[in-house]
Amino acid sequence: MLAIDAGGTMTDTFIVDDEGNFIVGKAQTTPQDESVGLMMSAEDAMRQWDSTPEQAFPKIQSAVFSGTAMLNRLLTRKGRRVGVLVTAGQEDSLQMERGIQTYLGFSYADRLHIATHFHNDPLVPRERVHGVRGRVDLFGNEVLPLRDEDARVGVNALLDDGVEGIVISLIFSYRNPAHEQRVREIVEEEKAKRSLNGEVPVFVSSELYPSRRDFPRLNTTVIEAYAAEPSRGTLRAVRDRTKERGAAFELRVMASHGGTISIDADQLATTLVSGPIGGVVGARWLADRIDLNNVLCTDIGGTSFDIALLTGKRYEVTTTPDMAKFLLNMPLVQIDSVGSGCGSFVRIDPNARRPEIGPDSAGAMIGTAYPEGGVETASITDLNLVLGRLNPEYFLGGQVQLDIERARHEVKRQVADPLGLGVEEAAAGVIELFETSLRNEAVGRILGKGYSPADYTLLCYGGGGPLHVAGYTKGVPYQQVLVPEWAAGFSAFGCACADFEYRFDRQVDLPLLPSAPDEEKVQMGGLLTQAWRSLEDRVRDEFGKSGYAAEEVSFTHMVRMQYYGQLVDIEVDAPKPAIESIEDINELIETFETTYTRMYARAASSPELGYLVAQAIVKGSVPIEQPTLPTMPRESGSPPVKETREVWWDEGYAQTDIYEMDDVRNGHTIEGPAVLEAESTTFPIPPDRRAWLDEHGIFHLENKEA
Amino acid sequence: MAAIDSTRVLEPEQKAPIGWEGQSLAEMLAASESMFEQTGHYHGLRELAMKDSDPLHFEKLFSRVRGGMVTARETALNISASPIVRELGEICFALYTPEGDNVALSTGIIVHVHTMSEAIKFMVRNGWEDNPEIRPGDIFANNQPTIGDVHNADVQTFVPIFNPERPEELLGWAGGVIHVMDIGATTPGGVPVGPTTRFDDGIDLHCMKIGENDTIAAWHNKRVSMQSRAPGLYLLDERTRLAGCHMIRDAVERLVLEEGEEPFKVFMREAIEDGRRDFKSRVRGLLVPGRYRSAGFTEAKYANKMNLPKRAQRDLIIHGAYEAVVDRDGRWTTDLRGSSAWGWHSFNATPSAQQGMQWILFTQTLICNDKINDGAYYATELLLTEGSWADLGEAPCSSSFPWMPMFTTSTGYLRAVSRALQSRGYIEEIVSTYTVPGNVAQGGGLDQYGQISGFMNFEIGAQGQGAKYVLDGLDYGAAVFNPEGDMGDIEMWELVKPMVYLGRRIKPNTGGWGRHRGGSSFETLLLVNGTQDFEIENIGTGGMLTSPGLFGGYPAPSAYVHNVFGSDIFEQAAAGKAYPVGDVSGEEALMNSFAGEHQLEQDPYTMMIAVKTGDLYLSSGRGGGGLGDPLLRSDERIEEDIAGGHIQPRWADRAYGRAGREGVVKQRLERARPASEWWTEQRQRIFNQELIETVKVMYAESMRLEPGWAAEFRGFWDLPEDFDFDVVTPTVVAQRAAPGKVLPEDSVREFLAGSEVFLPGEQVEVPVTTTVTKETLADLLDEKLSRRAVKEIQSGIKDPDRFGKWLELLQARVDYDDVIVLPYGEGMNIVRRRSDGELVIRTDAGADLCRWDQNWKMQVPMLVRDSDDLYEEIYPKLGHPDGDWQELREFYCPVSGRLLETEAVPPGYPVLHEYLPDIVGFYKGWLGTDVPA
Repeated sequence: MLAIDAGGTMTDTFIVDDEGNFIVGKAQTTPQDESVGLMMSAEDAMRQWDSTPEQAFPKIQSAVFSGTAMLNRLLTRKGRRVGVLVTAGQEDSLQMERGIQTYLGFSYADRLHIATHFHNDPLVPRERVHGVRGRVDLFGNEVLPLRDEDARVGVNALLDDGVEGIVISLIFSYRNPAHEQRVREIVEEEKAKRSLNGEVPVFVSSELYPSRRDFPRLNTTVIEAYAAEPSRGTLRAVRDRTKERGAAFELRVMASHGGTISIDADQLATTLVSGPIGGVVGARWLADRIDLNNVLCTDIGGTSFDIALLTGKRYEVTTTPDMAKFLLNMPLVQIDSVGSGCGSFVRIDPNARRPEIGPDSAGAMIGTAYPEGGVETASITDLNLVLGRLNPEYFLGGQVQLDIERARHEVKRQVADPLGLGVEEAAAGVIELFETSLRNEAVGRILGKGYSPADYTLLCYGGGGPLHVAGYTKGVPYQQVLVPEWAAGFSAFGCACADFEYRFDRQVDLPLLPSAPDEEKVQMGGLLTQAWRSLEDRVRDEFGKSGYAAEEVSFTHMVRMQYYGQLVDIEVDAPKPAIESIEDINELIETFETTYTRMYARAASSPELGYLVAQAIVKGSVPIEQPTLPTMPRESGSPPVKETREVWWDEGYAQTDIYEMDDVRNGHTIEGPAVLEAESTTFPIPPDRRAWLDEHGIFHLENKEA
Repeated sequence: MAAIDSTRVLEPEQKAPIGWEGQSLAEMLAASESMFEQTGHYHGLRELAMKDSDPLHFEKLFSRVRGGMVTARETALNISASPIVRELGEICFALYTPEGDNVALSTGIIVHVHTMSEAIKFMVRNGWEDNPEIRPGDIFANNQPTIGDVHNADVQTFVPIFNPERPEELLGWAGGVIHVMDIGATTPGGVPVGPTTRFDDGIDLHCMKIGENDTIAAWHNKRVSMQSRAPGLYLLDERTRLAGCHMIRDAVERLVLEEGEEPFKVFMREAIEDGRRDFKSRVRGLLVPGRYRSAGFTEAKYANKMNLPKRAQRDLIIHGAYEAVVDRDGRWTTDLRGSSAWGWHSFNATPSAQQGMQWILFTQTLICNDKINDGAYYATELLLTEGSWADLGEAPCSSSFPWMPMFTTSTGYLRAVSRALQSRGYIEEIVSTYTVPGNVAQGGGLDQYGQISGFMNFEIGAQGQGAKYVLDGLDYGAAVFNPEGDMGDIEMWELVKPMVYLGRRIKPNTGGWGRHRGGSSFETLLLVNGTQDFEIENIGTGGMLTSPGLFGGYPAPSAYVHNVFGSDIFEQAAAGKAYPVGDVSGEEALMNSFAGEHQLEQDPYTMMIAVKTGDLYLSSGRGGGGLGDPLLRSDERIEEDIAGGHIQPRWADRAYGRAGREGVVKQRLERARPASEWWTEQRQRIFNQELIETVKVMYAESMRLEPGWAAEFRGFWDLPEDFDFDVVTPTVVAQRAAPGKVLPEDSVREFLAGSEVFLPGEQVEVPVTTTVTKETLADLLDEKLSRRAVKEIQSGIKDPDRFGKWLELLQARVDYDDVIVLPYGEGMNIVRRRSDGELVIRTDAGADLCRWDQNWKMQVPMLVRDSDDLYEEIYPKLGHPDGDWQELREFYCPVSGRLLETEAVPPGYPVLHEYLPDIVGFYKGWLGTDVPA
């Protein structure tokens, strides 16, 4: 199995064999043609098994790709020349945006700090947006008829302007698509007059993203045309390149809902955000195999701390996420990101004389310890170096030489002296402060649902996760604290764990009110069932593109449901694929109640309000290979000590044993203080903790007295 | 019949006090106040023992406490049902000391941090400890603005937190607040404008104990259900607040068990004192000591509103006098004395509401970090006149919508801060003004589902904001009351009201003209659909200019009302006609192509209007004020404005002189008159009382309520010591103003003599690593940086040595050699004139206007726009005020004709001496050097 993560700077290749053995390859990302970097990365990986892509590719069962090309296209505004047809009066929507888009992703301070807010550069300029008179209301009734003339004038103006794609997004089209369909007919008629059949693709919001909220729907449909559609070409190039090398697998892409889809899928914009999802999908895979019911997933990279919850082995899905300052309308695995990571800058505010961590970070430039990087501000990495927790000789496996004296000098000057503390006290204190805030954020997510940390297992991954996991779990009574050996590559690994799965959502808004007679409720059930059937058809169509027969697809039926009048809807697995009787309705309600109280343990349930089935959801998947959880034989003894050095812990310096992480075997226990080092990560174990490795290559971090 | 065995005991048993160290809460509060009084430090904390000995542990505690607040809010958001909470985040939680001082708070409507503090102090002062008693598990509710709130619609819940190890001792309070959808006032909504007395303001909770044992009493639920138009939401909101308060209680109890009781107590107090010091330090770091003046005006046209009580049927201008004083070690004083009287309308405010307004302003500018608490309250002062609208005192008037005059008055805050920031060189932070929102659409009736309901359109959350020094104003993006502004999705708004959007578009000519343009706003055109019985009002659509310009930028145009009853839109649509989907401007009025009865006018508050299917309602927004002389705007920018729909070409020609700037300059200098000449003429006008009744009443109210203001008014116009206007001021007891007269120069002298500027004890040097270099500063000024680069400078830690770099940069760019001592606005500096050693105000064109401490505006040529003709040279129809109500004064450089400042005030208003820096204090007191020779 092959998983490729083409990040901004590096392309990681993750290959797992059928016994769960894995290798990781790395190469520079090649933004011009991602397939070049991919092949180099795959070659790098295969070398470790003394193999080549040509030898290995024919044996690979499945391959998942996640890249940043689409996101870059969006960020650099290098997408297609798109034209847009909207409801008349909404022509300024992309300029005006929603106010919220002027500060999306900002820090708390900047959200208050109004002077910092600014609008996005629109993806489509105002002159390529045209309005069409006509209105449909929230019930789907036509209030004002569509004015064909407006559509005709608009489309001709766009075609004259040489657009490469046309987006149609009208108000309440998810409710009644008739006006959008009519506009599409007119577009096709006008295209035909110019012999443009088959060219200038048309993107219709009610077909692609039929959910409530006009602005995110417009955004998402525009992004589909602007950034996603042109990326299809890139993805096809990647597929062709692998085929040339003998691949028999279908290349799939990670989509926002946590499944993988074909590169021929209609909703390609859902693959815009895939990076951080891999980790959560991998966590769910792990939870299934080692039977963890509730998992708190934590991922620390250089710039952010990402948190996600698996409750009852399920992750949460949000339906109006945001990305790159755009509000979107697609299901996205719920991940909360906090703007500080292990490369964050540390400054002392000259006014308040208090440390500020982040929000900006040294990124690839590491910190003041890396003079070539040109960074002059101390970073969290500098603090870790000063304390001996990071090894300056072994950073990224020794690829980079770090100047610990420079780091020490700068930490003293910038951090310790202003605080009136010794260098180590200051460095350790600021790291503790950093870890305390991460701990608050993590615990807060659990408490916010009304649960206790004792109900959850904490899973730590990401390159920086192991470095701080002891700190941010200190004193919190999690069930277990787990650190996979392959923490640094866990997100890429997670992508390989994802199902081949399509998901389609449709707004239905079916009320189930306490006062309504049973017949009416059953009728609502019928409408829900109808919506599911039509979504199943869409799923089958998509799988058809990859050559799967209808009967190979298995379905999961879900709804987004809420108390009537409330605004928080939650995702609920339907008890049956068809709701046909009052018993079925009651069972659906019961499932909602159970799910609701499981998700929000403290919230009062409010059945007196009645219910609303907001969306019908269908997920369909076909069987594919999944990685096997490795099992290693138990070994006795302990790993060899690589070296010893002075490391600063809470009580001061202590002579500390350093181990190579690869040398640790199933059954070995490392007593703190100790530091485990690998090329891609460092795992310090403080004096009051110990870590042992289980048969699956997962470290368990425990308290000594436990 | 039962036997009576003994006399019933009437005296309650003496209960042990619940405060710390055996004190009652009232004793604790008194002790705290007296310690602050004596030492100037919160709780007398001259030293921060905990912070100094272990600064990082102190921060860790702060982080944990704040984590608790944030989690509480998270939980609350998860269980809340109210759209106002879910979609707009109008909720906030906070932790208080036993005597009611705020320690930390969550995100959200942080307006209320101090209002809740006032409410707790009310309970403490009034003996709640003994009656009704404060016990574990109790729940208290408050929404009374005279106790501690902005208006009734903001409902607060309080839960006492007792020591987990000694449950007889109160450790602190958890508080939560939500702005509710409907508060059950005589007119529907969250900011009802109909009420004229406090008896009309809706549900009223005076720190009532509404529950025990963590459970809300049944009587309370029943009572509020009967009194709100949205009972379901009200009850769910209350549950939400309670859940959040309980989360805070849990978090505090955990912390106390882990950290120990004593350290936690010490922490609470040190955190507040630390916040106080931090605020002052920021003031010293960013501002200039001095006196800053301005004024704001809110109009109400009630003379023709027959559905109001007879005594409320008056036209009004609500005067908000604004003075900010920065002095001593960074103390900030807001002085609103001189404001007009309270009245029979909804716009009266309590001191608590004013504190809320202060919080909004400080937290968006000086202290927008996450470590905010009541420390800032102890670093600031607020001076009000009881009996004015700004402090309604005992008056039984309504206070359901105090925001309007608070907004207009407090535009002075941003102008004050911006002047100081310009002097110091922090130009990335300068904003001309924020926008007084309009149109606020509010209404209710039988909705599209056939149910009675009400709504308020929060599209006002995303209006255009004031122009910046280095950028145009933020277009359609935020609101002063909530920086996290948003206008929401059309498909969401159409769920809650029987109206269909015909259009939501950029409204041209809404941002004030200037070198940088004020942010544009938008208009929404709504078609009423699916109801035969609904009512709706327009708010904020009057003529007066409320978003001022700065440094020669113009105030933003005003808004207007355009509604059509019984329109023929359905007929036009059926016939395939190209009906309009907006109005464009009050002059264009595209909606005039609809048949039907038109209401097209300027009216600040229409009151409720009955509408039904087929009627059209226009919501026209307001933009921000401009910054800098519009003639300095580049052609390229003007063309972009036209292409982007921000301005129509003919206004670009007129306001920006697109057709020929030299002509405009020439015309300015030809038409302008020396200010002294104008003064002589106006003095006679005032002496003869030739002003409209509404304006005279406005002056008379201020003069009769505040003798000091009256004395300066007479001093400016050189009027007799006993001058007063011959008008009746029905809500002021005194019907003649007390005699007195203070000349402007005496007022200046008195201020400077009393401004003591010094640095507090020990200063710690912190090396700053994110310096804005001189080159970057030049690029910032010349606008060569990307928006992201500007944001990074805005978000970063401020370089303390900016002033020196700024002076150097400006000095290199002026044509004279005399030393710049203090930059004094755009195109002006206070310089040390080499020839005679005087400190003078000099324009960039080289004109020396006057001595540095005089009001330069009185020494330059000026033009007053006070007629439709003069206004309509630069403002569209229905975009400017009536000249009898408000005039626009323009002040020019006598040499270059550059527009240096504008001022929009009612006729007869003294020319504002806006910025009086204490130069000596600044240099000697804060910089520790001598004023340059």
